[in-house]
Amino acid sequence: MFFNDIHIRIRFIFLVMIIILLLVIGKVFYIQFFSYNKLSQITEDLWSRKMTINAPRGDIVDRNGNVLATSVVTTTIYVVPSQIKDKEKVSKDIAAILNCDYNDVYKYVSKNSSMEIIRKGMDLPSDIATQIDNLGYDGVYLVVDSKRYYPYGDSLAHIIGFVGSDNQGLSGLELTYDEYLKGINGELKYYSDGKGNKLEVPDSYVAPSKGMTLELTLDIELIKALDNELKNAMDKYNSNAALGIVMNPKTGEILAMGSKPSFDPVNYQNFSEEIINRNLPIWMTFEPGSTFKIITLASSIEEEVVDIFKDTYTDTGSVNVDGSTLHCWKHGGHGTQTYLEVAENSCNPGFVSLGNKLGVDKLMGYIEKFGFGKKTGIDLNGEGNGILFKKENMGPVELATTAFGQGISVTPIQQITAVSAAINGGNLLTPYVVHSIIDDSSKSIIFENKPIIKREVISKETSTMVRFVLESVVANGTGKNAYIENYRVGGKTGTAQKVSNGKYLVGNYILSFIGFLPASDPEVIVYIAVDNPKGVTQYGGTISAPIARNIMLSAIETLGIEEKSGGMLKEYSYLDVKYLIVPDVVGMSKEDATKALKDFQVKYSGNGDKVVYMSPKADTFQSVDTTINLLLN
Amino acid sequence: MKKGDLPLLITVIIITVFGLIMIYSASSIWSMYKFNNQYHFVIQQAFFFVIGLGLIFILKKIDYHIYYKYANLIILICAVFLVLVLIPGIGSIRNGSRSWFGIGSFGIQPSEFAKIGLIIYTAKYLANNNRLMKNIVKGVLPILGVIGFFFLLIMLEPDFGTAMVIVLTLVVLIFISGVQISFFLKIGLVGLLGIIGIIIAAPYRMKRIVSFLNPWSDPLGSGYQILQSLYAIGPGGLLGQGFLHSRQKYFYLPEPQTDFIFSIISEELGFLGVLIVTSLFIIIFYRGISIALKTNDLFGKYLAFGLSFGLIIQASLNLMVVVGLIPVTGVTLPFLSYGGSSLLVSMASIGILLNISKNN
Repeated sequence: MFFNDIHIRIRFIFLVMIIILLLVIGKVFYIQFFSYNKLSQITEDLWSRKMTINAPRGDIVDRNGNVLATSVVTTTIYVVPSQIKDKEKVSKDIAAILNCDYNDVYKYVSKNSSMEIIRKGMDLPSDIATQIDNLGYDGVYLVVDSKRYYPYGDSLAHIIGFVGSDNQGLSGLELTYDEYLKGINGELKYYSDGKGNKLEVPDSYVAPSKGMTLELTLDIELIKALDNELKNAMDKYNSNAALGIVMNPKTGEILAMGSKPSFDPVNYQNFSEEIINRNLPIWMTFEPGSTFKIITLASSIEEEVVDIFKDTYTDTGSVNVDGSTLHCWKHGGHGTQTYLEVAENSCNPGFVSLGNKLGVDKLMGYIEKFGFGKKTGIDLNGEGNGILFKKENMGPVELATTAFGQGISVTPIQQITAVSAAINGGNLLTPYVVHSIIDDSSKSIIFENKPIIKREVISKETSTMVRFVLESVVANGTGKNAYIENYRVGGKTGTAQKVSNGKYLVGNYILSFIGFLPASDPEVIVYIAVDNPKGVTQYGGTISAPIARNIMLSAIETLGIEEKSGGMLKEYSYLDVKYLIVPDVVGMSKEDATKALKDFQVKYSGNGDKVVYMSPKADTFQSVDTTINLLLN
Repeated sequence: MKKGDLPLLITVIIITVFGLIMIYSASSIWSMYKFNNQYHFVIQQAFFFVIGLGLIFILKKIDYHIYYKYANLIILICAVFLVLVLIPGIGSIRNGSRSWFGIGSFGIQPSEFAKIGLIIYTAKYLANNNRLMKNIVKGVLPILGVIGFFFLLIMLEPDFGTAMVIVLTLVVLIFISGVQISFFLKIGLVGLLGIIGIIIAAPYRMKRIVSFLNPWSDPLGSGYQILQSLYAIGPGGLLGQGFLHSRQKYFYLPEPQTDFIFSIISEELGFLGVLIVTSLFIIIFYRGISIALKTNDLFGKYLAFGLSFGLIIQASLNLMVVVGLIPVTGVTLPFLSYGGSSLLVSMASIGILLNISKNN
């Protein structure tokens, strides 16, 4: 038929058009079912305007739950200019309520942007907030915000750090643990049309969730005590710097840490970067001086190169090493002493001889095993490495000075960690300040720090011996100023001349003391260093030991450390005879009691012949000047 | 005498009423914004719908052979109007094209009417020269010359979309008249070479093509409309956001009631709405094709096919633009997009088709 060809072509075209329309349907299907999620997300962002509601940062608390850093509620005022119809009136009313300049507000209200912050993080009294709320203007939003508050100010600034204007952690633990502390921001979302006008679609509100709680190993009472002492040390002696660390020698938990000069974490902009960035107890490196002798001593005992009770050393006041003369701090020397006395007297030539007995390899081996020359790995930023001699460069002079703590450089945290190892039974620990991270919403512990033993450096027996010697140093030697009755204090002073450009500075010392108690089973170790105190005898025993003593007294009270009495007489036999154990006389007759207490002053009260009460109590360690009060019946 | 194709008439009324409803939904926001009256656009369109219905019933009664008789006059009038509209002061500019005669708030687009005029003329030409069509030089080139002349006139406005619809419709019409397929292959090859030449001559055109392939490369410029369209279609899903619940019509998608009304339909009625709309178009095309196949008169056959194809190719071009298959060309969706001339011309086509079917 004539139309055949035409009809075939018409049907062909029909088919082509059907295929084209199927393509269209297929494309729509693809868009709606495969790109759906992506496009929904884009359009959600396109249609909605978000106001972030900042999550309050998590608290930082001490070991007992005392708040060290927290967030206080503030208010932020947002405006969405496109939603504000009568810009003049709104600006006028807000300016009147906030008591500020009209133009200041109008500037924001009239801006051509999707969202403006008029006031951020204000401490807005609730009645003012209510007034603004009551205006009921479209486009004016009050959003809860928060601000960081540090109740203990500069005393914890180096550890905790501070946050920036958006509550982001900028330094210290605030920075390191920002992920955990910052929480999850909420948001207020409203929908708008293409011109920015608000649509009649319900706003959606997602509540922020507060950050996690960071629990530290610190104890705020000890922090306060330490801060107080350091402030005094700065004021009293016009020192360049003062620092201290209080630690549990058995676990590595830092109980307190502080340094001066410090800074105000809220107004940190007013302080120099040097002050902010240098957390002295972990950053500062300096010659340890005599406190380092503990390491030499422990190594010598462990290596059995010396019997501290029997072997003697004769100090003439100086010793010649390879042509150089090294002086003892005591002019004229200490004469002939046992090595126990060498330690008590902190006699430099005596320690040089110990260094020689050990030799370079062994001494340096122990120094490295005690953790010097490397970061301790404490969970704080800005730790220093310290500087050691290289073994291959060490001649006799370097060996000699290293043995008594000169020519090398260590950080306070290295020093206290090493001495902890020397007295805790021989274990080198990793010190830490973060105890745990707690998710308040689920009440679960996200992370918990446990003591980490890096290695065993010396044996238990050696450690016991080191404690004995250091207790003796406090009881009989250079550490007397740290002595606390009825608590067995061990310790060592340090007086290190400061070095500048390779030369020792004259009359410029860092005076330190490291002490612990009870010596029989140490529960707390304290390190104090004061940099260049003026107007006093520059000697660790006179400046730092009393500070350490005060801190130890606070620790006794705060930590509830019990008196160590009973069976101590023998261990105190090397003590000055002025101190004796008080025998128990309750129940004795007046005559027997008098006999038993013949070494003390005795005061009687009451009538009768039988002792019913005595003060101070029996089995405590008292000086012979003490008056024992007895109540008779 | 038969009554005409009732299913076609019913389908057209359904799709146009559906169009009115969707124009209301799509335009109410803009309408409120521009005229402070959310019904402004829908009332205008309803007015044209009523006129269009009248037109259908009038044209249905006019024997289509009259167009054969007056084809030359019709095309002459179209040419005159297309020239007049180019003269500033007579033609007015809307959306960057001088393609309108403004009469009060109404506008008339002569290129829309030229579409029907050219289909009539070409149908007559093909019917008259049926045997000549085997001869390219004597048969095909003259009519291509006429088409080219009108294409140039419309491109001077410029109205690329309508020009494309007209050229495609007439070329396909010539195709079905029996011209050798090899000729179309040659034209296609020349066209391809031409496009390559144009791109080599001006590399910026390549960028346009790239921007079409990846609208995200220029989301606020050339990619804006198509992205906004995809943002409307995407979240629609199976059943859509619900009638009246489009978000994109809130000033995101520009002029949602005209070229991009299909986006709003997809957004509010989802995949189901898309299926319904395309099905309605397929029914209309199918009915039109059936009329062409049944007509024994060659002119009637070409005319019926040309009018049906003109509608379906315009619809297809619009849909392909809206879903991102081809670059934006500026073609309205017949029966659904807001626009008086477009609706009247579409309904007039149906009126003529109904008369042809009556004469079978």
